[in-house]
Amino acid sequence: MTATSSERPSVIVRNVIKDYRTGRTSVRALDDVDLDVAPGELVCIVGASGCGKSTLLNIVGGLETATSGRVEVGGDQIVGPGPDRGMVFQAYSLFPWRSVADNIGFGLELAKVGRHERQERIDVLLGIMGLTEYRDRLPRELSGGMRQRVAIARALAPEPDVLLLDEPFGALDAQTKRHLQDFLRTVWLRTRATIAMVTHDVAEAVYLAQRIYVMTPHPGRVAEVIEVPFGPNRGPAVRRDPRFSDLVDEIEDLLLPVTTKEDS
Amino acid sequence: MDSSTPASPTTGSTGTAAEPVSTRGQFQGPLLRVRGPIPDSMRWSATAAGVAAVVGLWALTSTVWATDGFAVPTIGATWRALVEMAESGELWTDFLASIRRVALGYSISVAIGILLGVLIGSIASVESFFEPQLGFGRYIPATALTPLFLIWLGIDEAPKIALIVVGTVFYNIMMTADVARSVPQELIKASYTLGASRLTVLRRVILPHSWPGIIDVARINLAAAWLMLVVAELLAAQDGLAFRIIRAQRFRRVDRMFALLLVLGVLGIVSDMALRALRNRSARWAVDR
Repeated sequence: MTATSSERPSVIVRNVIKDYRTGRTSVRALDDVDLDVAPGELVCIVGASGCGKSTLLNIVGGLETATSGRVEVGGDQIVGPGPDRGMVFQAYSLFPWRSVADNIGFGLELAKVGRHERQERIDVLLGIMGLTEYRDRLPRELSGGMRQRVAIARALAPEPDVLLLDEPFGALDAQTKRHLQDFLRTVWLRTRATIAMVTHDVAEAVYLAQRIYVMTPHPGRVAEVIEVPFGPNRGPAVRRDPRFSDLVDEIEDLLLPVTTKEDS
Repeated sequence: MDSSTPASPTTGSTGTAAEPVSTRGQFQGPLLRVRGPIPDSMRWSATAAGVAAVVGLWALTSTVWATDGFAVPTIGATWRALVEMAESGELWTDFLASIRRVALGYSISVAIGILLGVLIGSIASVESFFEPQLGFGRYIPATALTPLFLIWLGIDEAPKIALIVVGTVFYNIMMTADVARSVPQELIKASYTLGASRLTVLRRVILPHSWPGIIDVARINLAAAWLMLVVAELLAAQDGLAFRIIRAQRFRRVDRMFALLLVLGVLGIVSDMALRALRNRSARWAVDR
């Protein structure tokens, strides 16, 4: 990982504040948030709904603008969305009229990649994603898990500097979810992509991430940044490690609302 | 579950595996099933019964129940009137004149509807800009503008086309905007992060996603186009199906009126089927399975 760190850009978020104004009242969604993602690192951001974790990801993706603060990728200030920061959402983000292959190729078409090279790159991604025999299917003919694999492949196709995942497995059933978590680990190990992933599933974050940003709501703040003690090559067996469940418990305690903490 | 009726007292309480004597739940036959599929045969029979009911009522009112002064032509008389008009050639002239007006006027209306509707449904500032015009314009009955059109545009084709455009374009714009608004936000966001510009998002994401919905909008509002055509032809025309109906009134030719109404109705059904076929062919991904 350190070998490539000098060449690849990293994500730097400093003192970001995000206010939503509705009429005369203003709600603070993010309050003085810092975030770092090193090249090739897989970082998870966990928190209850309303903690601003998706807002933070959208700001890095350039889909929303911070009220104040610094947002940089590879030393460049982020002013808007671009193919250097691929995003994957929870659902409804595939083009329903495009086949699997054409969905994956959309970013390459926009980048004016020639037909021949485009097909080659699509084929490689279809192979990695295990979707080769589904290349001509329409999204509606796929299961939820397959759709998310297509969405990940499509985001990876333009070879982004950073992959931003916004609860990508949030709408999947438990088995499919586990399957795709392992799948994402494999993709990450193969491509060494820089990944920032938002989730509300703490076990998912502990299973996948090298570092976890724990966020609390009202206003959205980073409560703690936790180093996950397992190496990048961890497998499903790590879930039975006592440190795994301890870490999950520890983070879930951090996520409990303040009122509940006082009651107990 | 569905057991809204109280359970009847059980008769056999012996607990053996014998045939049950009592039943539970209300049995629901397929014929009047609420929100559920019915067998194809039943569907076609119901449609056939619907046609038969209308034809039967027509036959009865024109023969058995016929009274003086309330003239209903018989089916035979209507058919003969149709053949008569077809043979004299005037039916075709009228038919083509009417179709030309609707096709031209409604195409303009749909084109404006797609252009403005997609922009209004996608861009908030464009929506705000057009909000006053649409809010005001849509409550002015288009038919109230006919005298103005006649003064401005003469009595030829122009005012008729204009009336069809004005009478449908507001609905086309607003309903198309609704369709464009229903494109999932995630799809647009994902497109931006794949490198799409705003123009690309409009052309290659919002437009194709809205396309089947736009054709459905065009199907629904086509009825209003025919309504406007009739108004236009009633006021000033030398040909056209509605003009011919007015003409028939002067001679109390109810048989001709019925024949022409039938032609209008069939035209409506055919144009609706044509648009539905276009929708299903051009957007297979949106065809219900």
